[in-house]
Amino acid sequence: MSYLTPTTLDAALGALSGRDTEAPVSVIAGGTDWFPAQGERAYNGTLLDVTRVEGMRGVSAVGTGWRIGGATTWSDILHADLPPAFDGLKLAAREVGSVQIQNAGTVAGNICNASPAADGVPPLLSLDAEVELTSTRGVRRLVLAEFITGVRKTARAADEIVTALYIPALSAGARGGFTKIGGRKYLVISVAMVGAVLTLSGGRIATARITVGSASPVALRMGDLENALVGADLAEALERVTPERLAALSPISDIRGSAEFRGEAVVEAIRRTLTQIMKGQAHG
Amino acid sequence: MSDILALAPRFGSNSGQSLTRRDGVAKVTGTATFAADNHPDGLLYAVYVPATIARGTVTHLDVAAAKAHPGVVEVITPENRPPLAGDPDSKPFMFAFRFEALQNNTVRYANQPIALVLAETFEAATEGARLLNPLYDAQQPRMGLDGDAPFTPESGGLGLPGTTVHGDIDAGHAASAQDIDVTYETPEQYHNAMETHAVVAQWNGDHVTLDIPSQAIVMQRGAFGYYFGIPPENVTIRSPYLGGGFGSKAIINGPQILAILAARMTGRPVKLMLSRDQMFGPSGHRGATRQRLRIGIDTDHRMTVLDHNSLATTSTFDTFVESAANASQGLYAAGALRSAHQGVRIDAGTPGPVRAPGEAPGSAALECAMDEMAYKAGIDPLEFRLKNYAETEPGTGKPYSSKALRDCYAQGAARFGWAGRPLAPRQMTDENGMLVGWGMGTALFAAPMFAAQARAVLRPDGTGLVETAASDMGQGAWTALAQIAADSLGLPMDRIEFRSGTSDLPDAGIAGGSAHTATAGGALHAAGTDAIRRLAELATGDPDSPLYGAGNAGVIARDGRLHARDDDTRSESFADIITRAGGAEVEGKGSASRTAEASAAHAMYSHGAVFAEVKVDPDLFQIRVTRLVGAFAAGRIINPKLTESQLMGGMIWGISFALHEEARFDQRTGRIMNADLAGYHIPVNADVSGLEVITVHEDDPHVNPLGIKGVGEIGITGTVGAIGNAIWHATGTRVRHFPIRIPDLLTGA
Repeated sequence: MSYLTPTTLDAALGALSGRDTEAPVSVIAGGTDWFPAQGERAYNGTLLDVTRVEGMRGVSAVGTGWRIGGATTWSDILHADLPPAFDGLKLAAREVGSVQIQNAGTVAGNICNASPAADGVPPLLSLDAEVELTSTRGVRRLVLAEFITGVRKTARAADEIVTALYIPALSAGARGGFTKIGGRKYLVISVAMVGAVLTLSGGRIATARITVGSASPVALRMGDLENALVGADLAEALERVTPERLAALSPISDIRGSAEFRGEAVVEAIRRTLTQIMKGQAHG
Repeated sequence: MSDILALAPRFGSNSGQSLTRRDGVAKVTGTATFAADNHPDGLLYAVYVPATIARGTVTHLDVAAAKAHPGVVEVITPENRPPLAGDPDSKPFMFAFRFEALQNNTVRYANQPIALVLAETFEAATEGARLLNPLYDAQQPRMGLDGDAPFTPESGGLGLPGTTVHGDIDAGHAASAQDIDVTYETPEQYHNAMETHAVVAQWNGDHVTLDIPSQAIVMQRGAFGYYFGIPPENVTIRSPYLGGGFGSKAIINGPQILAILAARMTGRPVKLMLSRDQMFGPSGHRGATRQRLRIGIDTDHRMTVLDHNSLATTSTFDTFVESAANASQGLYAAGALRSAHQGVRIDAGTPGPVRAPGEAPGSAALECAMDEMAYKAGIDPLEFRLKNYAETEPGTGKPYSSKALRDCYAQGAARFGWAGRPLAPRQMTDENGMLVGWGMGTALFAAPMFAAQARAVLRPDGTGLVETAASDMGQGAWTALAQIAADSLGLPMDRIEFRSGTSDLPDAGIAGGSAHTATAGGALHAAGTDAIRRLAELATGDPDSPLYGAGNAGVIARDGRLHARDDDTRSESFADIITRAGGAEVEGKGSASRTAEASAAHAMYSHGAVFAEVKVDPDLFQIRVTRLVGAFAAGRIINPKLTESQLMGGMIWGISFALHEEARFDQRTGRIMNADLAGYHIPVNADVSGLEVITVHEDDPHVNPLGIKGVGEIGITGTVGAIGNAIWHATGTRVRHFPIRIPDLLTGA
């Protein structure tokens, strides 16, 4: 096995180029998902650690939006100076594993691992995040919903690196929120979670982006609900969160919770997230 | 008065100082040497191959592939496994359990060893184990409490609970004005000590040295000697530190035996340490239980009958039936009492003692049933328990050696603020709209003793040496036992050396049964007292001593000097006495155990009362324990800080039992689906808040000379039921299984 720690993007991409099948290269950042997934098996391939690549880490304002570098950790997110629309992402950042995991694990790694229970994905979908993929062949961008294609499946080609996530321009008053349901207070894999970004006008919802995680193979935006919420004040908004508007979800029963509970709980979790945001209680 | 313990003629609680653990610095700085920290020259690493089926046979192992891997030295399978002198399928001594040591190719549960790979590095051994790539002839495993027909275990020792009946059960049922008939279930639980099972084995001829975490250091010499055909004195066990044991490290397991065998086979030292997932198999666990409780009361709310029946899972090849129903003995003054047990054989490893064996699940069910009965009767659950307070042991009529349970109830209730609790459920909410519930349970655990010996030496320089092979599992034995020893010698803590944790020292008995402090401490105290007696003989018989003629009974030891009891100005230092007598060390020996007569004369238990507050989200049903107050009476408390830690640890385990812990078996394969600490939940720090421990004063003149009961296990009992009852009180939903999880509350919404 070899462990590569390139310091330039060119070197990193060169290491991936043309080696897609013969000798697989695994791209890692914090490795907090990758290493536990290996189990007992000895690893004979090549590990490409992207955390030392120049420019890969950190959050910055780019044009009218924001760029989250591919090696940006969850702790970096927590400590970044970001507008209230990111409060949901920050609340999620506090719930990814433990502090130690948050110090090592990255936002990009969270989406590449593509777990249905990934805490980062609902807030990122609600922020309309886009994924920048870079290879020696060039650079392309996918919206996050197209990037994650299934349970532990992504559109990333073997020679590509997720070099950044982009958050497009946000309305001035946009506010984010996040609610996680778990069997204990901390260090727990989600039973279900909700990420949302709202813009408000005179106490009423102007735009809504609501995402539910862990209740379908890939976290989903609730389009019907988002449309229905426009124009609602808090009381009306809570009433409009109905199971019918969440029909796209397909929760399963597993060791953490039953499908029935997930179905009922996400209704309440959305209501709580809306309340949290509309009452100004979400503080990342 | 000593500054170590307040040695009044009769001891109250909290009589000792809250000294900080003597092993604390070593542990936080990493210098404490646990078994697997030993790396003798020439060490081979052993990794065992766990079965991935639960029932069937191994049909093929690719030994050639494993042996071809660089660094792999040997592969042991049933084909080439050297003989053992003792049969792993025999039960030759107390605490002997049958285990798998490659005696054949049968698989009896998932994760049992089916091969052992030895290599120059841990990595090579791990890869060699993977390359064995076993093939199986698998059969459908029998799983769960309905997996086979129940059987009635023979009654006898640990894990063989029989049926105990006091009074006329039928008459008790017939006499009841009101009754309940409820059934509770508890799941399989695995101890999961922080330090997984490990051994470093080194042979020298027919002598073996084992670095191994052990809760029974001297006793296990004989056990290992039996399997390897050598006398006990040819086995040296070193176990200075244990990262928890909880009962599992008093029992020998197959992987350890195989590692020791491999060391003899290869002529090299061998190290084996179980991975976390391997802890879910060969090293014991708590069996699942299904407990039916029938309680009847008369019109005055006095119990006419307490009828407790428990079914528990055990393995197909050995019998350890959780003695859950015995939790109903010894506590409430029911007119008639029955505790009955049955077992069911499933394709899992053999259960064994897990912290508060029997009492933990038994108390959980009993205390919830008591709560149900009280509600049905329309009285406060604490009042109901007081109404049925036993002044003597129910059934036997034996007097208690001491019983400050009334004080526990009173102090716990006062501290918690129990008064004014509404009887009906779903009456209280907090400022955030959370449902609030209060529940309580009685805690009870027997106060047994094992047998122990100790040695105490006074040296010419005035310092002392004390020896007994105690086990510090993290509970603080190194500290509490040293406090007792120092006091018995009349020396400050920094002038005694305490040797412990190796098998060449006097037997300290088993660190189990919540009896270690009482047993090993009793022996140390007796040894110290004996040494002082001999020293006093030297002084009082020597005309040159200021104590000449003072007489043995007239001398007391304090701070390194002997003083005449009736004249404090007459005194002489230990060093002067010994030096003038020629400089030979003065040795004392002592032992401790409980006589049959003492056991017959009194019922001996620690008691307690636990009060819980939970908050339940009315929509998401998330459950949080927000306050937990436990008041315990356990005789004399040697070190209040360590004692409170032990009780807190037990209560936190109670939270774990009530809300989190459960091994989930895949019914098709028999494998445990959550065999790691990511999936096998215990509370995290954030789940534990508002936890308070009160130690209630209790003098016990009968339990043993030092008046010590135990605190290691009682904290779990009472707590589980208190939390279950609080959840009911918050929600109105009575969940009759543990752990209680979010979806369990859905139906009551």
